[in-house]
Amino acid sequence: MSPEPAALKFVSSNRRVREDRRFVAGHGRYVADIVLDGMLHVALVPSQHPAAKILAIDTSAALKMPGVVHVLTGDDLVKAVDPLMNGLDTPKVRRFPLAVGQVRYAGEWVVAVVAETRAQAEDAAEKVRVTYEPLPYVIDGEEAATDASPKVHPEHGTNVLLDKTFVWGDVEKHFAESPRHLSFRVVWGRNSTVPIETFGVVARWDAWREMLDVWASIQMPKYPDQIARALRIPANNVRVHQDVDVGGSYGVKRGIKQTVLVSHLSRILNRPVRLIEDRLENMRAGDAHGPERTFDVEIAFNDEGIVKSMKMKALDNVGAYAGRSPFQLGKPVGAIVGPYKIESVQYRAMAVLSNKAAQEAVRGFGQSPTNYAIEAAIDKVAAAVGVDRIEIRRRNFIRSHEFPYLIPSGTHYDSGDYHTVVSKVLASADYEVLVKERDALRASGVMAGIGVAACLEPSGGNSSFEPLLNEKNTTSTWMDSCRINIDGLGFVTVTIHTTSAGQGHETLAATVVGEVLEIDPDLIRIVRPDSLACLPSNSPVGSRMAIMLGGACYHAAEKLKAKLKRIGAHQFGLSADDVVYAQGGVSDPGSNKTLSWAELVNIGHRQFHALPAGMEPGLETTHVMQVPTGTKLPENGRVQMYPCHSFEFHLVLLTFDPEIAKPEIRKYVIGHDCGVVINPHIVKGMTLGGIAHGIGAALLEEFSYDSEGQLLTQSFMDYLLPSSHEVPNVEIVHHCTPSPFTVFGQKGSGESGYLGSPAAISGAINDAVSPLGISFSRLPIRIAAISDAIAAVKNKQAEDYA
Amino acid sequence: MKLEIGGSETIPASVDALWVALNDPAVLTRCIPGCRSMTEMAPDAYKVEMQLRVAAVGGSFEGEISLHDKEAPKVCGIKVSGAGSLGHGNGTARFEIEPDGEGSKLIYKGTGEIGGLVAGVGQRILSSVSKHLIGRFFTALRKEFEQPVHGAAE
Repeated sequence: MSPEPAALKFVSSNRRVREDRRFVAGHGRYVADIVLDGMLHVALVPSQHPAAKILAIDTSAALKMPGVVHVLTGDDLVKAVDPLMNGLDTPKVRRFPLAVGQVRYAGEWVVAVVAETRAQAEDAAEKVRVTYEPLPYVIDGEEAATDASPKVHPEHGTNVLLDKTFVWGDVEKHFAESPRHLSFRVVWGRNSTVPIETFGVVARWDAWREMLDVWASIQMPKYPDQIARALRIPANNVRVHQDVDVGGSYGVKRGIKQTVLVSHLSRILNRPVRLIEDRLENMRAGDAHGPERTFDVEIAFNDEGIVKSMKMKALDNVGAYAGRSPFQLGKPVGAIVGPYKIESVQYRAMAVLSNKAAQEAVRGFGQSPTNYAIEAAIDKVAAAVGVDRIEIRRRNFIRSHEFPYLIPSGTHYDSGDYHTVVSKVLASADYEVLVKERDALRASGVMAGIGVAACLEPSGGNSSFEPLLNEKNTTSTWMDSCRINIDGLGFVTVTIHTTSAGQGHETLAATVVGEVLEIDPDLIRIVRPDSLACLPSNSPVGSRMAIMLGGACYHAAEKLKAKLKRIGAHQFGLSADDVVYAQGGVSDPGSNKTLSWAELVNIGHRQFHALPAGMEPGLETTHVMQVPTGTKLPENGRVQMYPCHSFEFHLVLLTFDPEIAKPEIRKYVIGHDCGVVINPHIVKGMTLGGIAHGIGAALLEEFSYDSEGQLLTQSFMDYLLPSSHEVPNVEIVHHCTPSPFTVFGQKGSGESGYLGSPAAISGAINDAVSPLGISFSRLPIRIAAISDAIAAVKNKQAEDYA
Repeated sequence: MKLEIGGSETIPASVDALWVALNDPAVLTRCIPGCRSMTEMAPDAYKVEMQLRVAAVGGSFEGEISLHDKEAPKVCGIKVSGAGSLGHGNGTARFEIEPDGEGSKLIYKGTGEIGGLVAGVGQRILSSVSKHLIGRFFTALRKEFEQPVHGAAE
C-alpha cells in the first residue's frame, strides 16, 4: 500500500460534511428521540457516602408512589447478571450496575426506581430509605496505593490494580553516562469530556422473539458482546441499533452499566425501559471521568540539552471500579518518547483504586496527560541548559529522513517532518515579533508568556495495550469493515458498522468510495445496519476511523471496481488487466468501445449468462480490514502499538493581570500534520474542538472531591467548561507528510489539538510567571491558584524588604 | 463538609415563655424553614420531615431531633441527624436563654457535618444558606410572640 500517485478528486477537497445539514437544522435522531409504546423510565437513588455498608433498603414507601412499577436493588440485580467486564486480570474487583452490599463512592447508584414517567420515578426515588454504616474511605491516589489505606474492594486485597515497570533500553547506563539530570513531579487533574447530551439508553426485551433491542448514545467497543455476557444471553439475542446519532462523546459514552441495568429491567418487566441520565447522575456516577495522573519524571541529558534517557512513573487514580480505564496507561507506551530521540525509557504504570467515581476513556486515551509530562520535561531541560524552548525541541526531534523510526518501546513511527512544521508555524506567527510583543506586555506590567508544545497523536490503534498490560489477553486485531452494494438500478449503498459521535463517518465513507469508483460521493447512500447485520467493527475509538473505516471502504471499493473490470473485460474478450476503468465505465483502449455504468450494472444484476465463469451474480463486496502494521503480540514488553503518528506543534501567547490572573489567550497557532486529509472541514473541526477541550483541561475543568469524599463539581456551576469567552481564534498551519501505511497516506486526527494544548498553555503560564521564580505543576491551573501564588511571592518580597 | 453556626438573638418574650415555645413541636414546626411535620417519638425526641431547596437542588430530608442536658428554663442541648435525597447530616448545638430587658436573649452555638448531594452542589453557598435559614427561623419565632395589633388603622 502506498499513497495514490494519481490526483485525488474528492479526497482532500473542500466538500461539505453531509451529516452537518441534519444536525444544524435540528433533525438529528438522538436516543431521546426514540419513543416506544409502553416505555418506562428510570431514576436512580445515589449513595451519599464515599464508602459504606448497605445495612437495609426500604422500598415500601417508594412502591406506593404514583406511577411506580418496580424498585430494583443491587441484591436483586446481582442474582440475574454477571459482573461487568474488567480490562485487567482483576476478577475480584467486581462491578455491577447498582452497588451490591457496599457503596464505593459518593453518588454511586444504589437503587433504580422504574415508573411510567421520569418525574414519577424521581419523586419515588426520594422515598427509598437506605440505611448505611459508613466505612473508612480513601480519596487520594498515592495514599490509596499504601498498604495501610482502606481497601476499596477488600476481596482484591489491595487498591493497586496495576503496577508494571517496563525498561526499554539501557536506562541505568544512559543515566550514569549523562552529565546532567533533573527530576520533577507534575499532576494532571481529573477532567473529562462532558458532552451536552448525557448518556442515554432504551432497551426492549421481546420474550416471544427472544430479542433484546437496544438504542443508545454509545461509543463502546464490543458493546453487544458485553451486554450479552452480563445478561447471560446469547450474543445473537442482542440487537444494537446503530442509526442513533450520538450527541458528543470523545470516549466517555461507554454506558455499559446503564445498558445492563435497563436491559435487565426490560427483561423482568416485559416493557421497554429508558434511562437518560440527568446532569447530576451523569457527573457523579455516569462513570465517565477521565484520567487523574501523578507523574514523577527523571531526565538524563547533556549540556547541549540532548535528552538521552527518561524514567517516568505514572500513577493513575482510576476511582472505585476498573473497566477499561487502566488501559489508558498503556496507550502512551506507543509514543512514550513523544517526537524526540530519547534512547531509553523506564516506565512504571500504576492504576490505583479509590473512593471516587469510576473512570472511562477520554479523547487520546491517556496520551494527553503523558504528552503534558513529556513537554514539561523538555521545557525544564531547556531552562536547565539555558537554551530556547523551541531550539531544544529541534535538537531532540527525530529527523525527517529517519522514518520509519523505531522508538525504544517497540513502535515504528510511520512518517513525519517535525522541523518543517515548526518552521512553518514560526514563520506564520512571526515568532520574533511575538517574543517582542510578550516583552513589551511584560514591560507594561502585564504577566505575559509564550508556550510551546510538540507532540504526537498515535492513531489507528490495534488495542495492543490490552495484551501488553494483561497477559491473559491475546488481542492482536481491532478490525473495521465496509460493505458496498450496487443495486439493480445502479445506485450505491455503503454500510458502516458503528455509531458516530459527530466524527462525520458518513462523509468519510462516501468520499473514499466515490474516489475509488469515480462517482459523485453525494449519490452514495451510507447506512448503519443493526449490530446483528454488521460486519466486525470496533467503534470509532483510538483516532482510527480515517485509517480503518477509510481503509475498509477503499479496499471494498477496489474489490468492486475489480469485479466491474472483469465483467467489462469479459464482454470485450479481454483480461481485466487490459481494460480501463474510468468514471464508472469500462473501456477497451484498443477499440475505444466503452461499457457504461448502467450497462455493467445490468449485466451484473440480470445477465448471469454474460458473467465470467465462476463469478457470483450481483454487485456486492465486503472488506474486513486489519490494522496496518498489526501483526504481533507484545514480546518482552515491546509491541507495535499504533500504525500512524500525526504531529502537532502549538504556539501560544497569553497574558493576565497579576492580581486578577484570568488568562487571556492572545495568539494561538497550531501546526498540524495528519498526512493526507480526507475532509478538511472535519479535521479543522476536530482540531479546534480539541484545543478548546485542552483549554478546559489546562485552566478550568476538574472533578474535584473534598476530603470527605464528596464531589464538589457536579454541575456546570462548578465544573467549568471553556466557552466562547475562553476559546480564542486559532490559526491552523497545515503540513502533509503522508503515512506509508495507509491507503491515501492519511493519519488520524480525532484527538488533534487536545493532545498538546494543555502542555502549551501550561508552558505559557509558567513562562509568564518565570520572572517571579515560580511555576505551576498541576492542571488545571485555576485563576485562584495563579493569583494566590503571585500574591505569596509579593508578600514575601515585601517581608524580605522590611 | 463541616458547618459551624453560632450567634445570639433577642426575642420579645420572657425566659419562661421562650422556653415553653422552644419545647413545643407545634411552634417549632411553624418556625423551622421547610419543616413539614414534627412528631414526638419519646420524651424530648422528635421525628421531623423537611422539604428544602439549596442552590440547584431540592429534596426531602427526614431526621431525628433530640433534646438533652436540659436545665429549664435556661439551657438545652440539641442533637440532630438525618438523611434524604439532598444528602445526610448530623450536628449538635446548645442554646442558653437569659433575660434581656423586657425580653430574652438566646445564645446558640453548634457544629454540624453535611455530606451527599447538597454538600457538593451547594458547598460554596452552604454557610450563607444556613445563616439565611437560621434568620428565617428567628423571624418566625419572633412573630410567635408579637401581639396581634387591633385597630391599628384607626
